[in-house]
Amino acid sequence: MQLQDKYRIALLSAYALSLHGFEALLPTPIPWLKLGLANIITLVALMLYGFKTAMTVTLIRVILASIFTGTFLGPSFMLSLGGGVSSTAAMGLAWAVSRHFFGPVGLSLIGALFHNAAQLALAYLVFIQRIEAIMIISPVIILIGAVTGLMNGVVGGLLIKNLSRE
Amino acid sequence: MKTNLVAVLIFAALLNPLACAGRKPAVYKKTKPLMDTLVTITVVANSEGEAEKAIDAALSAIDRFSSLINFFSDQSELARINREAGIRPVRVSPDTLGVIERAIFIAEKSGGAFDPTIGPEIRMWDFLKKIRPSDASIREKLGLVNYRDILIDRDKSTVFLRRKGMMLDLGGIAKGYAADMALENLKQNNIAAGLVAAAGDIRAFGLKPDGTPWTIGIKNPRQKGDADELIARARLTGKAISTSGDYERYFIEDGRRYHHLLDPRTGYPSAGCRSVTVISDSGLYADGFSTAVFVSGPEKGMKLVAEAGVDAVIIDRDGGIHTTPGLKGLVAFEDNH
Amino acid sequence: MKTIIRSTTCADRLLFLLLVLASCAGIFISREAVSQSSDVLIEVNGKAAYTFPLTTDRLVTVDGPCGPTVVEIRERKVHVREASCPNRLCLKEGWISKGVIVCLPNRIVVTVGGGSAGSPRGVDAVTG
Repeated sequence: MQLQDKYRIALLSAYALSLHGFEALLPTPIPWLKLGLANIITLVALMLYGFKTAMTVTLIRVILASIFTGTFLGPSFMLSLGGGVSSTAAMGLAWAVSRHFFGPVGLSLIGALFHNAAQLALAYLVFIQRIEAIMIISPVIILIGAVTGLMNGVVGGLLIKNLSRE
Repeated sequence: MKTNLVAVLIFAALLNPLACAGRKPAVYKKTKPLMDTLVTITVVANSEGEAEKAIDAALSAIDRFSSLINFFSDQSELARINREAGIRPVRVSPDTLGVIERAIFIAEKSGGAFDPTIGPEIRMWDFLKKIRPSDASIREKLGLVNYRDILIDRDKSTVFLRRKGMMLDLGGIAKGYAADMALENLKQNNIAAGLVAAAGDIRAFGLKPDGTPWTIGIKNPRQKGDADELIARARLTGKAISTSGDYERYFIEDGRRYHHLLDPRTGYPSAGCRSVTVISDSGLYADGFSTAVFVSGPEKGMKLVAEAGVDAVIIDRDGGIHTTPGLKGLVAFEDNH
Repeated sequence: MKTIIRSTTCADRLLFLLLVLASCAGIFISREAVSQSSDVLIEVNGKAAYTFPLTTDRLVTVDGPCGPTVVEIRERKVHVREASCPNRLCLKEGWISKGVIVCLPNRIVVTVGGGSAGSPRGVDAVTG
């Protein structure tokens, strides 16, 4: 890994962390409703610098955020890790398979979908184990994910455009 | 970012009807075994929580009242009155006193066709085990049945049964009164429409969410096939409806039907009717008069109904149907009759 | 707004539409499905004693004032299998998949699916 890559990863992780923290401060109407702003950084990292950078940034963000909030290795950390890793992996796969098929918005939507799917699966396996509750909540969460994913994708797309212009 | 906000708002608007689905007035229902029967309360409310709170409060009001007048419990006020019969007056709660006073009123109105002192007679029967008392014991206990021997002192709030062995049994009006009480309780909890059904003693108020009155089925006293076959249906609001029938608690011995609606003047089941449904403004009167009219028989019963100012559907012993003019348009009979 | 829309690919838009439609349909379907796969609530003396999903077969013994009552859940239906009450009316109720089975003497109420059993022919209550 080159020094430049390390700087880049550190910088992106710092952005992701601050967005993650900023999001935690925002009041949301529903407690489990998350905007997933940090996913913007994952998206930018993936599209500009590749899958490895994106995954590294995601891992650093999830682990550091949980250490900062004191939930490291706790249940919410597990959810966060599962969601982050699977969404980054899904976005990376979609990006690798079809480089010009999906734009940033499409990738962001895929990321949001897999983030939510992974979290729901984990929540079912680890916490709730009531399939009715998961069934009721899944479509709602996926719908909200589509909306937030769209927003994040648009913001990510603008960011990428500006960054690659420089 | 501004355009994003617009998109978000559009989506929020799309989501809104889903979130609002739970706020429309809907019908909620709960059933509980109380007063040796099933009490079902139906309310129209905006949320399940609101409905549940009101229903639970009304059910516990019935529960409290039923513990005062339970014929079979030693601790009830009714049991104390019966224990102290011929000995001393018993101080009772205003609720119990009110019910007894109104029971006496119905007894007077009906010339004793309804009598709350039927206790000593009804006690000897067991309709489940098909136990019929001997003619001699029926005659012997008849002397203890007379509502005029209930002495009430309003100022002291006491009730006294004049002779030892007398027994009050408020089973003929208690459920109707319980429905009245539950309804008042629901109204206090800001419920604007609902249905209280203590078994067949029902009070309806307000309208259903679709703006129509409540539909109450009247059971066919001689069920042909499936359970709960109806003979008629009544559309009601702001009214009470009660039915007394010879099919509720009965047994058949040597081809004769013995049921729980005893004529207080003879001590034997009254044979004039199959069922009597009374519609009144008050649950207590609907309940009490349905018994009184049943025991009076179809002809005298019709007169009693007119005097009492209530409406009735009488099905006589031959299955003939008699209705009061006031029910025109409110009660529709099923096609098979 | 225009530039944003232009910056998305066809696949992006299709995916978004698909997600929204699928999740909206999912909301309605799941509601329907959950309201059908209802719970069995067993109450003794007016207090909730047990809640079981209708989907899991099992035998439950509930103690009431008259003694044990055995409630059986099998193949999304419920019945009272054994009763110690005097009249045993609850046994005669048979298998239900929606509605209420009551044992008055034993003060046991078994409710399936919120208890709103489709009242007979559009009637809100029955007298008599």
